[in-house]
Amino acid sequence: MGLAYLTFIPFIGAAFTTVSTRLGRYSSAWVAVITAAASLSLLLPLAHDVMAGQTIIQHASQWVPSLGLNIAFRLDGLSLLFTLMILLIGLVVIIYARYYLSPRDSMGRFYAYLLLFMGSMLGIVLSENIIQLLIFWELTSLSSFLLISYWQQREEASRGARMALTITGGGGLAMLGGFLLLGKIAGSYELSSILESGDMIRQHALYPYMLILILLGVFTKSAQFPFHFWLPNAMAAPTPVSSYLHSATMVKAGIFLLARFFPALSGTPEWTWIVTLTGLITFLTGAYIALFKHDMKALLAYSTISHLGLIVMLFGIGTPLAVVAAVFHIMNHAIFKASLFMLAGIVDHETGTRDMRQLRGLRKYMPYTALLTMIAAASMAGIPFLNGFLSKEMFFAETVEHGNSMALPWLLPLIVTAGGIFAAAYSIRIAHNVFFNGKAEDLPKIPHEPSRGMQIPVEILVGLCLLTGIFPAQIAGPMLSVAVTSTLQTTAPDYQLAIWHGVNPALIMSMVAVAGGILVYRSREALFTLQSRFDGMFEAKRIYNGAIRRLFNWSSSITMNVDNLSQKRMLWLLFVASIVMGASGFIVHDAPLAGARTMLPVDPMSAMVAFIMIAAAISTVVMHQQRFTALVLVSAVGLGVALTFIKFSAPDLALTQLSVEFITVVLLLLALFFLPQRTPDESDRLRQGRDIVIALLAGSGVAALSYAVLTREYSTIGDYFISNSVSGGGGANVVNVLLVDFRGFDTMGEITVLALAGIGIYAMLDKLKLLSPQQDEDGRPWNPDTHPVVMATFSRLLLPLALMVSIFILLRGHNLPGGGFIAGLVTSVALIVQYLANGVEWTRTKLPANTHPLIGSGLLIAASTGVASWYFSYPFLTSTFHHFHIPLLGDLELASAMAFDLGVYLVVVGTSLLILINLGLIHQVSYQPRITKKNLASPTTDSDTTPSRSAALKKVLPWKR
Amino acid sequence: MNILLEILLSVLIVAGASFTFIGSLGLARLRDFYTRLHGPTKGTTLGVGCLLIASAIFFSTRDEGISLHEGLITLFLFITAPISAHLLAKAALHLKVESLVPLPDEAIERKNKQHQKYHSVD
Repeated sequence: MGLAYLTFIPFIGAAFTTVSTRLGRYSSAWVAVITAAASLSLLLPLAHDVMAGQTIIQHASQWVPSLGLNIAFRLDGLSLLFTLMILLIGLVVIIYARYYLSPRDSMGRFYAYLLLFMGSMLGIVLSENIIQLLIFWELTSLSSFLLISYWQQREEASRGARMALTITGGGGLAMLGGFLLLGKIAGSYELSSILESGDMIRQHALYPYMLILILLGVFTKSAQFPFHFWLPNAMAAPTPVSSYLHSATMVKAGIFLLARFFPALSGTPEWTWIVTLTGLITFLTGAYIALFKHDMKALLAYSTISHLGLIVMLFGIGTPLAVVAAVFHIMNHAIFKASLFMLAGIVDHETGTRDMRQLRGLRKYMPYTALLTMIAAASMAGIPFLNGFLSKEMFFAETVEHGNSMALPWLLPLIVTAGGIFAAAYSIRIAHNVFFNGKAEDLPKIPHEPSRGMQIPVEILVGLCLLTGIFPAQIAGPMLSVAVTSTLQTTAPDYQLAIWHGVNPALIMSMVAVAGGILVYRSREALFTLQSRFDGMFEAKRIYNGAIRRLFNWSSSITMNVDNLSQKRMLWLLFVASIVMGASGFIVHDAPLAGARTMLPVDPMSAMVAFIMIAAAISTVVMHQQRFTALVLVSAVGLGVALTFIKFSAPDLALTQLSVEFITVVLLLLALFFLPQRTPDESDRLRQGRDIVIALLAGSGVAALSYAVLTREYSTIGDYFISNSVSGGGGANVVNVLLVDFRGFDTMGEITVLALAGIGIYAMLDKLKLLSPQQDEDGRPWNPDTHPVVMATFSRLLLPLALMVSIFILLRGHNLPGGGFIAGLVTSVALIVQYLANGVEWTRTKLPANTHPLIGSGLLIAASTGVASWYFSYPFLTSTFHHFHIPLLGDLELASAMAFDLGVYLVVVGTSLLILINLGLIHQVSYQPRITKKNLASPTTDSDTTPSRSAALKKVLPWKR
Repeated sequence: MNILLEILLSVLIVAGASFTFIGSLGLARLRDFYTRLHGPTKGTTLGVGCLLIASAIFFSTRDEGISLHEGLITLFLFITAPISAHLLAKAALHLKVESLVPLPDEAIERKNKQHQKYHSVD
């Protein structure tokens, strides 16, 4: 189970970081450090076995057994390498970000997102089941969306985040298709069996389609041409994010999959051509564009694209030695690129700009940062004694090897060397242009060395660059060998991790690349001028934006063709469609309308209630232009329904209906206050006639349907619940047992939806200010006595009584009519009366003003009751009950479902109050000017200060003409 | 059951029903809003009160202990009925609903003074 815990710890940590900010600004950084360290400590005991050559597979639990899906985790050399990178670079980035973020940024939110990402990324590299892997894959897309748009107020941040999500999310969708095909071909979604059936997979007829779908996912995530453009736009993220996601981890997820599926998918011509070519094009275009970017982060982004292309190309070449080079470069690139991003962040932080046309000569102000940058950049350029040199030389050697098998053996090495020249040139530029190149002037801030907290993370990474570069076999050797073995799934080939291999083509290519890089850099001014002529001509971003715009136009034109913003038309379509569908069923199958069951006798009481309901419904239609009257009439229908429930012995439902009716009427009254009291005539005679016909047809259709159902004999599942309620759920009230036990999961979903709806309404109404009408339709002013003393006083007396009743209903709910939902409604009614009688402002000072905690704790209680049953190894939400004998009170039966019911109760109370308070607050805002003394005292100026109702409405409701 | 008890219950129920009926009749038959208000608030409250007493006696004499629910219902009723009547009357006065008896001069004067500004706009 260690791997499952390891993966989920960051998710739990993410929840704690947001809470921990209450203990101080920096406590969330500590929580994040502890979280990463905890995951790491779980990894270390397992790492020992993996380094010895084992593959650890842990089956955590069943997921969807009927589809053969299990939740399983896998740790082998490759996943160990990635896990270490994720956790160690993650730790370094957490420390760096603690000093990087400014006091205006919310630290808790940042670390929560970062840990979410960390957990999702761990999930990708540790999953044994590929569908499970895909879920984590999508989670990284989502968490990276949150991280890129962290500075929400910046337009380019949200645009970049949307673009990244569109591209990587689309790729993820393609990959889901690929995985489903792969699972079908291999007969299993478990990695271990997929990796063993490589031959079968490659020979399968569906292989090419599956390969292309999976590669789409890989190339979008790893920013390969032509999907590379999201990465530079994702640079709107804070620099720690770029350093972590966009150089070390997330963009490597695609490459991880290439490595993971290497034994199963590689070796075919399709693989070699698609993967090698994509990698090569990406390598070249990335390197070329990078040189011409003046923004430090943009340069690094394109260089990342280029290096990712390099790695992808190595996997395309696909010889065992190429895989060694690829895996080695994954490690090296993560280390030097993460440090370079951090260094760019330091420069940005201390000078206020990242524009290399402005930055120069910083060596004088920050010599130590200059030194670190030079080492990291040298590693990126491929200078000996640094880690970048080693893997780059391996890469050159492989291209020479692969070129030999082609028609023109010199072509591939030549192209690659050209790419290497640009890589060297941009590496030199980032160090020389920023820290040398004349005297620093015109900077937004006077630069100085950053705080130690920002330097130490970079020192660690740069130190690793040096150590790996000088002692490759000792530092990187063991890790590399197990990673390569598990990537290939066979023994690793012979290779030498040494700095000096003698004079060979690869060394010559390295030297040419560095020398050429210096030459290109020296002639940069001329190149920049030349390049500026082509600015924006071949930008993939523009094509993307155009495509997105066309898509939006297209979909909105479709929408406007169906829905022309006329509610009447939508209803018209809906009703006609359902009438046609309902009637066609009766016409096609010639079943009689009436069933065999005889009708029950009609008693006068029911007939009278039915008559009242019908009369009220018809009068609502007739009177609908008088809105308040219509509301009263409609509530008469509601009361009739409640009476019907009592007649058919459903007191629970009757009580619920009554409370819901009350709350609805109050809420509608509050809303109606802002609307005109009368609806004007809106349709002509002809349309009215058409609508009447449709309404009659739809109504009689529903009546006929109920008649047809009710006159037939059928057995409902109700019988089962009635006979099992006491024995299975421990309660005699079947309705309540049904809600909290048999169908507890449904209820859980429902209260979640309720809570979401409440919070959605809150979000819409919060701080909303509406101009309210000053007088009613006939020009009569409102009564200034908004909270009559008689009502205020007596309603306060009423509160304890009503609360007592509601708690009584809650407690007895399991066996007698009642339960959490009804009790919640009754409590809400009791509290709403307080708000009505005493005013929102007054009541808010006496009762908890913020009902969010109420909703949250309700959901938490309900969910933890469900989770508690896991502890006793029962399925989610299994309830238990027990009889206790308590002296004085007698026999008492307690069911765990009662705790769940309490959760329901709290959510209902919280949500209904949240809505009411916020509706009431708009009210309050608008009331203020009218009751001030000044307004009352100066009647003459009143016509200016109080706009007429229609004028006020025009301001508030622009669509109202 | 004790015959005396039965007679008592019957009297209470019939009285309750009569009061309720008279209250409803008043609501329908009386001529202006203010007098109509008396029907449901006085007559009906009294009627329901009688029925509640009958219910309390009936359930308390069935050897299941004293029935207290009715007490609570009475309490709720006695608190809410006057409030709603008061609010209805207040609203009617504010809207100057026509009355068989003219409004007291004092009240009209106060109203006019309060809302002078609106009249001036009219």
